[in-house]
Amino acid sequence: MTKKNAALRSGETHVQAVRDAFPGAVLDAAWQASDQVTITVPKDMLPDVVEFLYYGRGGWLPNMVANDERPLNGRYALYYLLSMEEADPGFVTVRTEIDPHSMEYPSVTPRVPACVWSEREAYDLFGLRAQGLPDERRLVLPDDWPSGLFPLRKDSMDYRRRPEPVTDVENYEFLYEGQAEEVTGVPMGPLHITSDEPGHFRLFVEGEEIVDADYRLFYVHRGMEKVAESRLNYDAVTFLADRICGICGNAHSVAYAEAVENAQGIEVPVRAQYIRTILLEVERLHSHLLNLGLVCHYCGFDTGFQHFFRVREKAMDLAVLLTGARKTYGLNLIGGVRRDILDEQKLATIAFVRELRSDVEALVDMLMSTANFESRTAGVGRLDPAIARDYSPVGPCVRGSGFARDVRFDHPFDGYRYLTGLKARSHDGCDVQSRTLVRVEEFMDSLTMIEQLLDGAPGGPIQATGWRYTPHKYALGYTEAPRGEDMHWAQVGDNQKCYRWRAKAATYSNWPILRYMFRGNTVADAAIIVGSMDPCYSCTDRVTVVDVKKKTETVLTKQQLESYCWRRTHSPLAGKGA
Amino acid sequence: MTVIIAVLQAVLLVALAPLVSGIARKIRARMHSRTGASVLQDYYDLAKLWHRCEVREGPSGLVSRAMPAVYLGTMALLAAGLPLIMQACPVPLLGDIITILYLMALPRFLFSLASIDSGAAYPSIGGIRELLVGVLVEPSLMLVLFVMALAVGSTNVGVMAEAVGALSAYPAVAVVVAGVACAMACYIEMGKLPFDLAEAEQEIQEGPLAAYSGPSLAMLKLGVSVKQLVVASLFVAIFLPFGAAASLAPADLLLGLVTYLVKLAAVLLVAAVIENSVMRVRYKLLGRYTWFVVGIASLSLVFLVIGI
Repeated sequence: MTKKNAALRSGETHVQAVRDAFPGAVLDAAWQASDQVTITVPKDMLPDVVEFLYYGRGGWLPNMVANDERPLNGRYALYYLLSMEEADPGFVTVRTEIDPHSMEYPSVTPRVPACVWSEREAYDLFGLRAQGLPDERRLVLPDDWPSGLFPLRKDSMDYRRRPEPVTDVENYEFLYEGQAEEVTGVPMGPLHITSDEPGHFRLFVEGEEIVDADYRLFYVHRGMEKVAESRLNYDAVTFLADRICGICGNAHSVAYAEAVENAQGIEVPVRAQYIRTILLEVERLHSHLLNLGLVCHYCGFDTGFQHFFRVREKAMDLAVLLTGARKTYGLNLIGGVRRDILDEQKLATIAFVRELRSDVEALVDMLMSTANFESRTAGVGRLDPAIARDYSPVGPCVRGSGFARDVRFDHPFDGYRYLTGLKARSHDGCDVQSRTLVRVEEFMDSLTMIEQLLDGAPGGPIQATGWRYTPHKYALGYTEAPRGEDMHWAQVGDNQKCYRWRAKAATYSNWPILRYMFRGNTVADAAIIVGSMDPCYSCTDRVTVVDVKKKTETVLTKQQLESYCWRRTHSPLAGKGA
Repeated sequence: MTVIIAVLQAVLLVALAPLVSGIARKIRARMHSRTGASVLQDYYDLAKLWHRCEVREGPSGLVSRAMPAVYLGTMALLAAGLPLIMQACPVPLLGDIITILYLMALPRFLFSLASIDSGAAYPSIGGIRELLVGVLVEPSLMLVLFVMALAVGSTNVGVMAEAVGALSAYPAVAVVVAGVACAMACYIEMGKLPFDLAEAEQEIQEGPLAAYSGPSLAMLKLGVSVKQLVVASLFVAIFLPFGAAASLAPADLLLGLVTYLVKLAAVLLVAAVIENSVMRVRYKLLGRYTWFVVGIASLSLVFLVIGI
């Protein structure tokens, strides 16, 4: 990347600050790439160091990766990934080792709430227990999974094995944190008319007002990380990473490829970097148009919804032109891309971009002048900036609450390094309207970026060749997907496969804040609040409406759900609940 | 003779309702830049539902079971009593505003009761919303109808229609303002966007409708479509009676039928365009819109009292 001599490597100041604040805490510091450093700390120091870097040094926490390193060094390891976004930008990973006999470590969640999902997941998949973790419920594994079978341990199970279900009923406990004593539980999901994927949200309501909400996700957890490390070779995982999301697959694929490239020190040719960036922006075009359409739909304005989808077809056509498929799939390999952008494709792309700009400007004008748009979105689904700081949400969600966090500008990578005159967008209304406006502006910026990148792309090869494969090296890869940052952590093994691959989709960071966004709104606003997050269920991995006053709630049986899936009428939810 | 016309009116409206909602769907599809389903689609849907088995909620009782039939029946009765084709009411007893207001309140009451009876979360919310809409809109509608009763000296809508048709309703300004308020109240009463709160699909999964299936759902869907026609017809009957038959001569009746259909089509077209260019009103803010209607209705009363 940039020319920095060893003494001034990115992250050096953070490591020094940790050394100064906690003498003896840094057992080891190693750089994986010019902007990535991993420090190993004793596990007792872990909460202090992570809290210090998070609140004291301007860090944000994308996620934490647990790893079974017993075959390598006899221990388990945890990697707390921190994105440093104030002075000395870069990534600092706090690593700690856990003795396989104790299987316990002090929880960081009470100090830095953003760790909560990662620490719950570390127990589900590895059986590593965080002492002091306030919420120890199951997160990733289904309710009928046997307890004591931890799928990602190297010695636990074959990826093809399907354990017998241990229960026929849902036993997930929904937590209610509100003050009101009498609340009704209203179920929204597991299948709900406004969500395209399963997710069970339970709204605790008083009349129509939501007092609190809890949710259970991961109904469509596919065990991709297990498949990647047992079945595919590391080069084929880019195509699996494409399939993480039906919208932003390319963002995952690029993030994975760059994780491996950063770890192995592979220089990607500049032209390939430009092509990756152009396709990431094409992906943002159709994703943002999808969400703008959905905002209309959730407000009952299907005319707007249909028109945004009509225009979105042009963005899909653009994807066909550049990749041969309606989705930007199958483009990346480790070391570069598979398809070049030819001169006539460049000209056609510029024509598409012009057309999209004028069409979307007209549609956005229409949306803004539609009756009730303001009253439906302003002040609805408020995400308090303090909550945002604690939970590290990403994408338009956090940018709608006044934080201009955007990986493209905080840690410029690929073609984003060569852009001029653009900066991260943010609004400080903290509501659905702000998040929508951020998306509108980003859409227009993406068009500008595509034009700049097409103009600036140099000639040359699109694939790097002749690198040396070194086992067990690991690093981070990151991209700004339309919904926020995707963060991949990859470590290759000595068998041409991933030893550990952790893919963090943007929405994984956003789900934990949803309960705060629900509070104080009405049942009528629930769908648009979920929608304003632009959630990706299968990427991260169900709403129950409960009446606080009647204290009743209903759990659907598997049979009811199945019959609903077959008939698509007589919603089992219709008859249950209050 | 007039009883035959009344029965024919009810049959006509019930038979036309799916066509009208089918046309509304077609207009919506066009505004969405879609091709859309056939205008006859709602007939197909009803036929299909009629052959489906009926599934009931466990705890639901007699009210839920009787509601769809009572709903559709009441709407048909209302359709029979309004002066649609001729200026006078075919059955004077059914044309009295007190009867009309109570006949409109009956299905709403049962609709809400049934939604709570179903024992489900979303239908209950829908039922409560339906009552809220009723409480907020019915006073304006009542006020408007009483202003008209005072202006023409009778509570019979047939007499009102004759007076308006002859342009002899006095005071004129009060009548025009009452007409505006009536149009707005009727639009909200029709339950179209942005005021379809009780059945809001994205918010509460079609509310009370979600608790029904098979023939009951068919009756309820038909009932809701007929209600839209009845409410639109009420406005047309009182404030746009022009062209309606003044006598029982076949030629007059035929002309009355044609003009009625044209007027109804125009009103529904306007409603369809409004419906597709707005977002659903936020449940909490419905009061702001209805206060506006109450204001205009009150204004008509003021004009009536001062006599302009």
